[in-house]
Amino acid sequence: MRIVRQWLLFTIAYFVVLPAFADDSAVVDYNRDIRPILSDVCYKCHGPDEGERQADLRVDIQAAAFAERDGNPAIVAGKSDASHLYLRLTADDPDERMPPADSGKELTPAQIDLFKRWIDQGATWGEHWSFVKPVRGELPTSQFDDRAKNAIDRFIFAKLEEAGLSPNAEASKERLIRRVTFDLTGLPPTLEEVDAFLADDSPEAYERVVDRLFESTRYGEHRTRYWLDVARYGDTHGLHLDNERSIWPYRDWVINAFNNNMPFDQFTVEQLAGDLLPNATMEQQIATGFNRCNVTTSEGGSIAEEYLVRYAVDRVETTATAWMGLTAGCAVCHDHKFDPLTQKEFYQLFSYFYSLTENAMDGNALLPPPVLKVASDEQKQQQQNLNSQLAAIEQQISEAIAKVEYVEPEATEDVATGRRDFVWIDDDLPANANAQGDSPWKFVAAEEGQVYGGQRSSTRTATGLSQHFFTDAKPGLKIGQDDVLFAYVYLDEKNPPQEIMLQFNDGSWEHRAIWGEDLIEWGTNGQASRLPMGELPPAGQWARLEVSAAKVGLKPGTVLNGWAFTQFDGTVYWDHAGVNTMTPQGDEAFESFAVWKQIQRTTENGLPKPLQEILKLEEDKVTEPQTKQLVSHFVEHVYTSTREVFEPLHKQLADTKKQLDDLDKSIPATLVMADMPDRRQAHLLIRGEYDKQGDPVESGVPAVFPSLPDGAPANRLALARWLVDPAHPLTARVTVNRFWQQFFGVGIVKTTEDFGSQGEWPSHPKLLDWLAVEFVESGWDVKQMLKWMVMSATYRQSTEVTPIALQKDPLNRLLARGPRFRMDAEMIRDNALFAGGLLVEQIGGKSVRPYQPVGLWEAVGYSGSNTVRFTQDHGDALYRRSMYTFWKRTAPPPSMQIFDAPSREYCVVRRERTNTPKAALALMNDVQFVEAARNLAQRMMKSGESIEARLDFGFRVSTARTPDESERRVLLGIYNSVLHDYQQDMAAATSLVSVGESKRDESLDVAELAAWTIVANAILNLDETVTKG
Amino acid sequence: MDPRIERGLLQTRRHFLGRSATGIGAAALSSLLTADANAASPSGEDLGVLGKPHFAPKAKRIIYLFMSGAPSQLDMYDYKPKMNELFDTELPDSIRMGQRLTTMTSGQKRFPIAPSMFKFSQHGKNGTWISELLPHTATIVDDMAVIKTIHTEAINHDPAITYIQTGAQIPGRPSMGAWLSYGLGSMNQDLPSFVVLTSSWSAKRDAQALYERLWGAGFLPSRHAGVALRSAGDPVLYLSNPPGVSAEIRRKMLDAVATLNQKEFELIHDPEITARIAQYEMAYRMQTSVPELSDVSQESEHTLNMYGPDVRKPGTFAANCLLARRLAERDVRFVQVFIRGWDQHGNLPNDIRAQCGDVDQACAALVTDLKQRGMLEDTLVVWGGEFGRTIYCQGGLTKTNYGRDHHPRCFTVWMAGGGVKPGISYGETDDFSYNIVDKPIHIHDLNATILHCLGINHERLTYRFQGRDFRLTDVHGNVVKDILL
Repeated sequence: MRIVRQWLLFTIAYFVVLPAFADDSAVVDYNRDIRPILSDVCYKCHGPDEGERQADLRVDIQAAAFAERDGNPAIVAGKSDASHLYLRLTADDPDERMPPADSGKELTPAQIDLFKRWIDQGATWGEHWSFVKPVRGELPTSQFDDRAKNAIDRFIFAKLEEAGLSPNAEASKERLIRRVTFDLTGLPPTLEEVDAFLADDSPEAYERVVDRLFESTRYGEHRTRYWLDVARYGDTHGLHLDNERSIWPYRDWVINAFNNNMPFDQFTVEQLAGDLLPNATMEQQIATGFNRCNVTTSEGGSIAEEYLVRYAVDRVETTATAWMGLTAGCAVCHDHKFDPLTQKEFYQLFSYFYSLTENAMDGNALLPPPVLKVASDEQKQQQQNLNSQLAAIEQQISEAIAKVEYVEPEATEDVATGRRDFVWIDDDLPANANAQGDSPWKFVAAEEGQVYGGQRSSTRTATGLSQHFFTDAKPGLKIGQDDVLFAYVYLDEKNPPQEIMLQFNDGSWEHRAIWGEDLIEWGTNGQASRLPMGELPPAGQWARLEVSAAKVGLKPGTVLNGWAFTQFDGTVYWDHAGVNTMTPQGDEAFESFAVWKQIQRTTENGLPKPLQEILKLEEDKVTEPQTKQLVSHFVEHVYTSTREVFEPLHKQLADTKKQLDDLDKSIPATLVMADMPDRRQAHLLIRGEYDKQGDPVESGVPAVFPSLPDGAPANRLALARWLVDPAHPLTARVTVNRFWQQFFGVGIVKTTEDFGSQGEWPSHPKLLDWLAVEFVESGWDVKQMLKWMVMSATYRQSTEVTPIALQKDPLNRLLARGPRFRMDAEMIRDNALFAGGLLVEQIGGKSVRPYQPVGLWEAVGYSGSNTVRFTQDHGDALYRRSMYTFWKRTAPPPSMQIFDAPSREYCVVRRERTNTPKAALALMNDVQFVEAARNLAQRMMKSGESIEARLDFGFRVSTARTPDESERRVLLGIYNSVLHDYQQDMAAATSLVSVGESKRDESLDVAELAAWTIVANAILNLDETVTKG
Repeated sequence: MDPRIERGLLQTRRHFLGRSATGIGAAALSSLLTADANAASPSGEDLGVLGKPHFAPKAKRIIYLFMSGAPSQLDMYDYKPKMNELFDTELPDSIRMGQRLTTMTSGQKRFPIAPSMFKFSQHGKNGTWISELLPHTATIVDDMAVIKTIHTEAINHDPAITYIQTGAQIPGRPSMGAWLSYGLGSMNQDLPSFVVLTSSWSAKRDAQALYERLWGAGFLPSRHAGVALRSAGDPVLYLSNPPGVSAEIRRKMLDAVATLNQKEFELIHDPEITARIAQYEMAYRMQTSVPELSDVSQESEHTLNMYGPDVRKPGTFAANCLLARRLAERDVRFVQVFIRGWDQHGNLPNDIRAQCGDVDQACAALVTDLKQRGMLEDTLVVWGGEFGRTIYCQGGLTKTNYGRDHHPRCFTVWMAGGGVKPGISYGETDDFSYNIVDKPIHIHDLNATILHCLGINHERLTYRFQGRDFRLTDVHGNVVKDILL
């Protein structure tokens, strides 16, 4: 620890020498030297924020800073002794001196001197550099020009020359191919790829590698991985319950966009406003998931208005950070203290994002609206096929209806009341019934026994008490006023029972009717639970048993779901059971249209609305076509005689609909943006408080930037197009800077998230502008921009540090050496999986849950959350690229977090790179790294016979280079030593090689495999392995 | 550390020391210390970005007992005898004054007063009122400063707990422990400077969630985030070697890694490599120091009994309090013990009884234990939740059963040791424990005061992010000098 700290100390110490990297000339540059001090020290009271302004003085704009002020101008060009700004900075009187003692700010003598020199040199003013449109400058020249590969190098080399440094030589081919392969795909090269590159002596060898990498689909995955931090992508809502949300199709969209090299302006417009494009495609709508990635809540008690404001604020902050490097969030409560962004302008931007159709409460739902179903092409085809099938069946049905000529049978009494027998149990159990009994239900046909009607009856032979019954029938049997339950029964003459019983279930079985002896003891005799009905009916013939529903305790409105046939001794046949009722029943067939119609008129029915309307009319008001409509329905659904025709068609119809429904359910959906037709009025919120509305505000863009074109719509589409207007000073700069950061570790502007006054001055402003202009003029071609970077000699340099370079430029901002830094979390894990041959490459799809230590979600999760318990996946899901790991935002994947992945609760454009013991423990001990080491060990053992060959293989897989003699000696040293240990302790060896769910190669010697696993574990822990350099 | 590596590191260190000496003076160096990374003392101690506290601290360390879900001040500390006469009467509008309510009760037709069913009595030299739920805590009131007038603006758990822990209601800011780690560094070399313990609880299972952001580093470097010590599995993630890997084998592997890393360093000269070698050594030391830490077998019977029977069950609040003391002994700067289960919208009496059963004895034991070891003087103990609860009943009301909704306008926090006045009761709420009538303390004031105890001027511990100097207390906070020694 001690040592680390001291190292840190020197890292900082070297930083002091920085003036070397600023333009080392006596001329004071306002933007570089003066504005940052003004911004940091003076703007708070003399800057853009009107509310805080003191003495009516502002020094952030030129006119005000040079104003007369009644003979006390703050700045007089060329005259520091007449400039009150300078006089106050140097005043002896503590009451006069600026900045005030209680501000906590202080200027160094060197800084005060800068002001003096600047004023005396003429106080040249300039707009803040990043708010001025970039122009492509001349390429500078230097003594190193012959080594330049492209324009980038000209800028870099010129600065090196000024600083007295010189560029490094090109890195070794092994290190170079590893570097560029990681940078473009996030994965290492294979040994074959390394060998091919080593064997290719042509001048185009490197470019060929680069071009190949750009064509790999891994390229898009890797670029997306960076963008997910910006988009604050997560698989949960992020607040309170932190339930799962489905927005992974958006992640797939980003992958495709990068792989198809979508121009960055289109990439911008589709994500911010794809839904507002004319005839927006499904893909364009999916893209808008970008601004649905923000955290949301559904906490009980939350106030909706407050959260609608918070969501819109988050979207403005994220959009401003991602595209403009602007810290817009500083203007939520008051005017921005450093940059020309007023509070009102913040709410103008806010207004663009304040009219979503979303609910403030996400309902803890997987898919809080607005959402979009995202069918694949195959699924769309299936849908189309099923829909045509559906249409064909419907066609068949209407044709069949047309063929039926319905004739009303002779009238019966029923027509008046609609009362009739409804048979519920006949040849089979009712739909969905769950058959139960002492022994199975037995249905017999006439040949085998007695049948009352239809094809079959149910029968039972018993000694003592026995029964068959069912529950869960659906639709159930509806009981109405004065209804009578009935069943037909046949008692065997030779073996009659002593007692029979009917029993009904409406949720309870306490409804029984008995005939014969009183031998069945359930219920209370004489009550609804055991109601005596008298003698047994005569044997040897069918008899109808009838039970008044009311008397067995079944009130009108009750629905039966079960029925039991019980007997004591004997053989009994049961058939044709149901209810005599006026109530319409589920699937009932009718002989007579008139009877059916009568029933529908007198009771509540579930008919389609138009039919219900017709039935409500007076008989004589019903027109001919209306009657025809009713008859058609009757014929299709109810008429006994045509059931044979329509039932199979209906079954086909239902099956097809079910298939469509299943298909629909299998089609994922994703969160998208959609605006309300009438926009919600935005207001300036006083102190940023949701319930303190100030003046109403309309959408618009900050005045410091180019204005919107005339007639631009007041919606996100206008904002998005404005961002990618070539005249916009920030978007291209901010974007190329972020790309630069991905390759070189630090942006040209180090503060990737802040290009405003408080942001850091660019290390190479002219290079940044050159790249920005090039990017726009290329048509926002991302691959081409990245190719500029990786093709540069600057990028290709070796990473070795000379003492002079370390002294003059410890942080490598001037790039006298190649970039070298620890890889991001995802790359470290993916690299280990790749080395172990475990990586399962499958692009896109839902997130997966690979190994993580037990109890992490439970320790923090809300008990009612659907992510309170972590259930690990198995098989391929354990080995997908890390960008597909399920991201629970209140407890992110530990093996990512330990290596500085952000929580994804908010937009992050620059990750930390820390170096901690936690990281060491994870790399040494996490099951996924140990399993990867064991699999790498297996590959090593199978790669060659000699231990040297095996070692070289593993080392090359991990670092792309062959170990030298001393490295071999060290690693083979532990191999031999540990092999000996494991040979003495086979149990330990077996335990180690059994870590992880992938099957171990049983053909390999266990002790050897364990020893190689330790070697592989060591290799995967090497600084070189986890570093891109 | 392997002597060979030690020697190697020493050499490289000298190598670079020699060079750097020409580059810069000490003055320039110290001006930079506030810029980016933590400072180190000559002895190698990590002094944080401040190098040293702004002024002499009373507390070296802090144990913060966090009652997540918001415990009812009305049933524990804020005695309101007049409420008994007003049972089931309407909360007067003159008291409520149209304050915003959560949407869980804002639709309620009535706001009937639910007096606490628990008996209060006076304890200690100045007769502090404590409810019968807390018989053990009552014995330490002479060491406690009971503050009844803490208030906040947030009315729901997620924003409120995020607010009190980080100074902002929305995710993204560093937690208090992360600020301390950043500002003051670490006092020990084998353990993290900020440790978090989450406890099991006895009230209903349905408890408010915690979030890793509550001990997160926000925009500070992520090494300042709290390390959650777990009661099941590895206490620190990935601490144990995999099955079949002994400490000896790990040592061999680490030596090989260090040697090869050292070789890479000699080629590339990137200081990150040396840092990595050292981090691996610390990881190796943690593999010994952390298990030793959680092994309480050396604790005396007397001590264990003081914490109560739960102390023998890993993961209970009592076990975590003992662990907190052991961490404090090892100079871990900030230990935060969370216990959930206080969100008692209904069935409050039963649930609060259960929760007090979890915490009462352990809290008293912790303070007593620290005192007996002479550590209370420089260890600050803080007890509290994210807001308070309402005098009016949520749901059905009887004399012995009621529920209470969220109440941000006043709640009770107590502190002990570490420069806080012992044996005082501070601030007054009205008869309804609804509004503060005397000496309000905003949560920013509370946080400012806690930092003050540790020798930090809360306005001067800042971090530049997105162009702005952020601090724990945002742009607010006043140190409550009245409660300090």
